[in-house]
Amino acid sequence: MTSSRSSLWLRMLWVAPWMVGLALFYAVPLAMSLFFSLTDATMIEPPRFIGLDNYAALARDRVFWRCVANTAIYAAVAIPLAMILSLWLAALLSTRHALAKPVLLLVFAPTVVPLVAASMIWLWIFNSDHGLLNMLFTAAGATGPNWLTTHGWAMSALIIMSLWSVGQSVVIYLAALRDVPRPLIESASLEGLGRFRRFVHVVLPTIAPAILFNAIIQTITAWQVFAAPYIMTGGGPDRSTYFYSHYVYDQAFVFQHMGYAATLGWVQCLLLAVCIGAVYLCWRRLGDLR
Amino acid sequence: MEVTRRSAIGLMGASAAGLVLFGPRADDDVPTDRLVLNYWEKWTGFEGVAMRELVDEFNRTQDRLFVRYLAVNSINHKAMISIAGGAPPDVIGLWSFNLPAYAEAGALLPMDDLAASAGLTPDRWIDSVRPLLRHEGRQWAMMTTCGSLALYLNLDVLESAGVDPAFEPRTIKELDDLNDRVTLRSSRGSIQRMGFVHTEPGWWSWMWGFQFGGRLLNESGDPTATDAGNADAYGWVRSYPDRFGAEKLLSFQSGNGFYGTAQNAFLQGRVASVVQGPWLANLIEVYAPNLRYRVVPVPVAEAVYDPDAPVGLFDGDVVVIPRGAAHPEASFEFIAWLQNRARLERLALAHRKNTPLRQASAGFFERHPNRSIRVHRRLASSPRAFGVPRTRVWPRYEAEFDTSFESLWIGRLSADDMLARVQTAIEQETEFARARRGARADV
Repeated sequence: MTSSRSSLWLRMLWVAPWMVGLALFYAVPLAMSLFFSLTDATMIEPPRFIGLDNYAALARDRVFWRCVANTAIYAAVAIPLAMILSLWLAALLSTRHALAKPVLLLVFAPTVVPLVAASMIWLWIFNSDHGLLNMLFTAAGATGPNWLTTHGWAMSALIIMSLWSVGQSVVIYLAALRDVPRPLIESASLEGLGRFRRFVHVVLPTIAPAILFNAIIQTITAWQVFAAPYIMTGGGPDRSTYFYSHYVYDQAFVFQHMGYAATLGWVQCLLLAVCIGAVYLCWRRLGDLR
Repeated sequence: MEVTRRSAIGLMGASAAGLVLFGPRADDDVPTDRLVLNYWEKWTGFEGVAMRELVDEFNRTQDRLFVRYLAVNSINHKAMISIAGGAPPDVIGLWSFNLPAYAEAGALLPMDDLAASAGLTPDRWIDSVRPLLRHEGRQWAMMTTCGSLALYLNLDVLESAGVDPAFEPRTIKELDDLNDRVTLRSSRGSIQRMGFVHTEPGWWSWMWGFQFGGRLLNESGDPTATDAGNADAYGWVRSYPDRFGAEKLLSFQSGNGFYGTAQNAFLQGRVASVVQGPWLANLIEVYAPNLRYRVVPVPVAEAVYDPDAPVGLFDGDVVVIPRGAAHPEASFEFIAWLQNRARLERLALAHRKNTPLRQASAGFFERHPNRSIRVHRRLASSPRAFGVPRTRVWPRYEAEFDTSFESLWIGRLSADDMLARVQTAIEQETEFARARRGARADV
């Protein structure tokens, strides 16, 4: 008894730094931001309680709805694209081909490049006069668009850039694919299932947990996208790439509406929860394929 | 090799011990017997070096205070956070247009009494400086350097286009004529070179109304974005995408290099003229020392033209004492020391900028390395020099202007619609700011 109690204390001691950190840097700020969302808080002046006024103000805020729409469009396109691309790459790389490992290295390498540096690289790739992408267009006899300064194309450019960091998902899929039991695939072959149906009815359901994990992570990443558009387009042109987190940042630190920014943060959290719920429902449907 | 708990703990312990023994140290140069003042400033590079030299001199010439200089990026945001967090530095270098927001939020200590007791009376400044240091009847800052915007002309480009290099565009119409003569297109119609384009560098999208006699705030502090002068100005801006093609302009713009590099469009001769401040002289010295250029006031609408009263944006760098500074008197002692004419001029010479003082020392203009400094001085001293509108909602006003300007530039909004959009947004913001202030006052 004594020994198990002392063991418990020892364990508590080991996790104590993390618990203290969690309380100080997560729980307390979360509670404070919830409080601030109910106040008219600037950064310096004492917060003034205004109840749900900030939440009501969202309904009339055109820029807020614009940011929600922009972020939703970005997420709706970028997430499926990233999912398909990473799964396809993982499927290719799961073979025993000699080039698989070097290619995996190439696919994973961009994820260790800081996002700011990557954004600077992509700024040049998308440059309409001297950019790599438009040079390819020119070589093909076509004229490339003004990627970052034209309505519509700017969003497309950011979605393309988001695929730069699919390496992490590829690694997770790769690990999951290697865990698919060979006998399962072989018996499906014996039952006459073709390659595509084997993939859909055997492989996909087996790696479903990895798919769910990647989908959730990518949903969170998409709804929090900030650095790349901030650097590459500044939210323009005409707010066509003004995303939710950028708006939260501007409200908090540029316009000094800290209370409103806290409200936006909580609504972002709710939106994210809804999206993750939708992802989970889709994932359940994937299980039905089995 | 098996990793045991003991070896893992040992490894962590060894790492911690290594960090303690050989890790980074606090600045050893800070003396322990002096009061240390932390000074946050926005300047890095040669501008930072010039201020650091002054700080070092201050530290050498007395033995009670020690100023520690720290260059801080996005200082206007970070300083506010530090004040809100109750851990501000002792002195902060801001832009003068930050003062209304800081002052109204109660983030600064007023300087009227401190300045008066140090004999730093307002008449030492040129007229344009005084309003930049004040807000709602109080003085909040002291100026360190300042600059006015002018039109820089690349004479080589003008000559190659057959324009007399002595030509000085004084009105918007003359600027347009110059543009027509200098602009070059390729056989496929893309723009290769322009005489002038608003988006290079495009840092002051809101200033054009002033060149047409417009303004952005009235005496009561209400937004006046839809003012007739502004409507004329942005009608003129809109004529550029209409004449040259929005797509073509965007394509041309994306081929221009970043401002602070050798690929700068003005240095490269891709644009023959740009609106810039005296700091451009530094860039020219570094990247294009042989560039032949001239500096003239920014052109204005014909109806507004007056050779004796040029119109141009004037703004400055200021030092302030934040609320919560531990030793405000000591902070001000350093600020007052900086205000000595010789020191302000040293800084101005190093930054290639104007002096904010009414009386320059003998030979200041003669030995100034910026050959256009007299033009900038004339602009700064003009009765029609204008500053950034003094309102707490300026960050929102500017952001709204920038966004709406983009819409205008890509041809999605007319000038009137653009200005109406800005007006509506800023009226709401102003109303909100006033209501918020009133509610706080009631509390």
